[in-house]
Amino acid sequence: MATEHVSLTIDGRSVSVPAGASIWDAAARLGIHIPVLCHDPRLRPVGVCRLCVVDTGERTLAAACVRPCQDGMEVRTDSEEVEAHRRMLLELLLSEQPDRSAREETTGDDALYALARRYGIREILLPDGGEGTPRGRDASSPVIDVDHQACILCDRCVRGCDEIQHNDVITRTGKGYGTRIAFDLDVSMAESTCVSCGECVAVCPTGALTHKAVRGLRLEEGA
Amino acid sequence: MRLLKAMLALQASEGAVTDAALRDLARREGVPLYRLEGLRSFYPVFRKHPGKAMQVEVCRDLVCCMAADGDPVRQVREALADRDDVDVRAVSCLGQCDRAPAAMVDHRPVTGPADGIRACLSGEQMAPESGTLPSGRWATDPYKAAEQYYTTVHALLTESEPDAVIRALKDAGLRGLGGAAFPTGMKWDFTRRAPGGEKYVICNADESEPGTFKDRVILEDLPHLVIEGMLIGAWVIGARRGIIYLRHEYGAARKALETAIAEAYQRGILGEAAFGPGRGFDLEVFVSPGGYIMGEETALLEALEDRRGEPRNKPPFPTDAGLHGKPTLINNVETFAAVPAICGRGADWWAAQGLGDHKGLKFVSVSGDVERPGVHCVPWGTTARQVLELCGGLVGSQPLKAFSPGGASTSFLPPEKLDTPLDFDAMQGAGSALGTGAMVFVAGHRDLLDVTLAQLRFFRNESCGKCVPCRVGSHKAVEMVEQVQRGERAGPGIALEALHRTLARTSICGLGQVALLPLVEALRTFPDEPSLQPLRGEE
Ligand code: SF4
Repeated sequence: MATEHVSLTIDGRSVSVPAGASIWDAAARLGIHIPVLCHDPRLRPVGVCRLCVVDTGERTLAAACVRPCQDGMEVRTDSEEVEAHRRMLLELLLSEQPDRSAREETTGDDALYALARRYGIREILLPDGGEGTPRGRDASSPVIDVDHQACILCDRCVRGCDEIQHNDVITRTGKGYGTRIAFDLDVSMAESTCVSCGECVAVCPTGALTHKAVRGLRLEEGA
Repeated sequence: MRLLKAMLALQASEGAVTDAALRDLARREGVPLYRLEGLRSFYPVFRKHPGKAMQVEVCRDLVCCMAADGDPVRQVREALADRDDVDVRAVSCLGQCDRAPAAMVDHRPVTGPADGIRACLSGEQMAPESGTLPSGRWATDPYKAAEQYYTTVHALLTESEPDAVIRALKDAGLRGLGGAAFPTGMKWDFTRRAPGGEKYVICNADESEPGTFKDRVILEDLPHLVIEGMLIGAWVIGARRGIIYLRHEYGAARKALETAIAEAYQRGILGEAAFGPGRGFDLEVFVSPGGYIMGEETALLEALEDRRGEPRNKPPFPTDAGLHGKPTLINNVETFAAVPAICGRGADWWAAQGLGDHKGLKFVSVSGDVERPGVHCVPWGTTARQVLELCGGLVGSQPLKAFSPGGASTSFLPPEKLDTPLDFDAMQGAGSALGTGAMVFVAGHRDLLDVTLAQLRFFRNESCGKCVPCRVGSHKAVEMVEQVQRGERAGPGIALEALHRTLARTSICGLGQVALLPLVEALRTFPDEPSLQPLRGEE
């Protein structure tokens, strides 16, 4: 059976993709990179950071990473409204961050920081939730550093550990604003069944999970 | 449901779901530990360690704060300060707003202010067991005696066909009565036509929005109508299995349902030949491990699939891919309970029950500053003023400041809108929504800032935490308002509006979409309200 295709327009440009493809993937074909933090093409999309929201003319915006393309869809990825929401979402996340990102200071590739620069965010007027790092750290593992304050609950480590490595260690624990990641029955990383494969560090977009070995190694500061 | 049922059983027998118990469960079921931790920490009924000898759970939400004229949780804590055998926990709305301030003592509902709870603890006072209103007086019940129950579905089986039922629901104008107002006939039609041999029918009996308790009364008084509505739904869409997803605080409703289900099995109405030889239908009650968000239909499905009850991204909708990916019909208690009357007496009869152009009957939960809070079944088109009169008007004949026509997710309206008829479109036209039909009346002496902040806190407390706008945004909004109250921040009105727009447009589910709505809308609707002035800042 031939693959069914659907045709749609994204920012006014036509594209045809196999049925079931996400808007995010369809946009990528057109060279449009929709900003996202929780998505990684190797992982099952979950649509939780909401940065990839796009306007499909519906009551609410759609997360491009999980929304399948539909025939005849007209998608806007960069309208003023959409960009304003992305800026607000970034401000919400940044207002919870600790003073420094272990990732930015080591490998220099903190994706949240990169987006903050792209959107020119300098000042956050929201109440500061990062002060005094109330969410704490877990430095128990000999190789991986956990900074809960830098965690944006994108779920990438959970899926990386499960879906790529099949180690089944990480979960989200708690609910609502108090949610954080945890290992096994919420024990320290060192006490958990973690095998230190490093997958969670590889997929983490922020300073929440970093390699201890490269801490202190200073690469060039971001632009 | 296996894992959650096992954990619920542990919680009930041991008073906790301990690490040791979870390690054992993980081994037996072959599931990773992290998955059980995710469940235990998400659902409020589970505890990691056993608590004290007695458990008191006190409602912290709007109607109970109004009834207690302050913080009911603090009042109870103070009243029980000398009892070191008692755990006092703050919980979200218990669905007992007609008996506010409400609490549970060892999972039994109790009512009255703090000293009432003291009396209950010492056994001096008994908890109420069932609905507030006498049974057998609901206009949606087409039956006079128990022998007549289920005659409608049996008549349909022999004399009608599924498409005729769908047509009747469409003609009756029935829309989802759990708050979303989706046309019921259309939903049944979608599920009926969705490809797939295996389908499910689910009754959402998880009402938990502050001010909403009508489903509790329907379940206690009319369980057979809910069961019959589900049977008709199952026959129409071709389901063999049904589940009633019930909030755990509704003990009397559970008893009523389980008794009615057992009777229906005994009579052969449920079971292996429900729709004729070889065409069975099984129905069971699943008791929710808790949380308002479970009333979101896809969160409910996640719970039934033993995951954290976090709403799914949609589409797909449950009508196409619901429980275990199969087409699933999910309706609210009141919606299912309306079906036997519509099918038995006809769509015309149902339509004629409404006033003027309005069709049908609606259960409303009325609470707040009224003389006689309670549930009423009224014709669509009844005005808010008439509902208020049915409840004896405001306590002490005070002036009215505001009323919420539909529950925590709907905006407050000023007294000038009291003549708005109960109707989805009319309430929208008036600047609010009918929601679940939870009408909360607020008297003149109250501060609307307290009132709307209580609603905002409820959503913050009940956010599942899955998506950024709701998880972080609802919390920031509460913090900003609290900073204003402490004089640490000047009018964040504009920032709150911008935040509301982002939550409304980017949140995954309805909770985040409406979390800031009552507060932000009140700034617009009540320009002269003194308590809201500090939020406005300079304009
Ligand atoms: S809007 Fe709130 S409740 Fe709904 S999925 Fe997002 S975090 Fe959960």
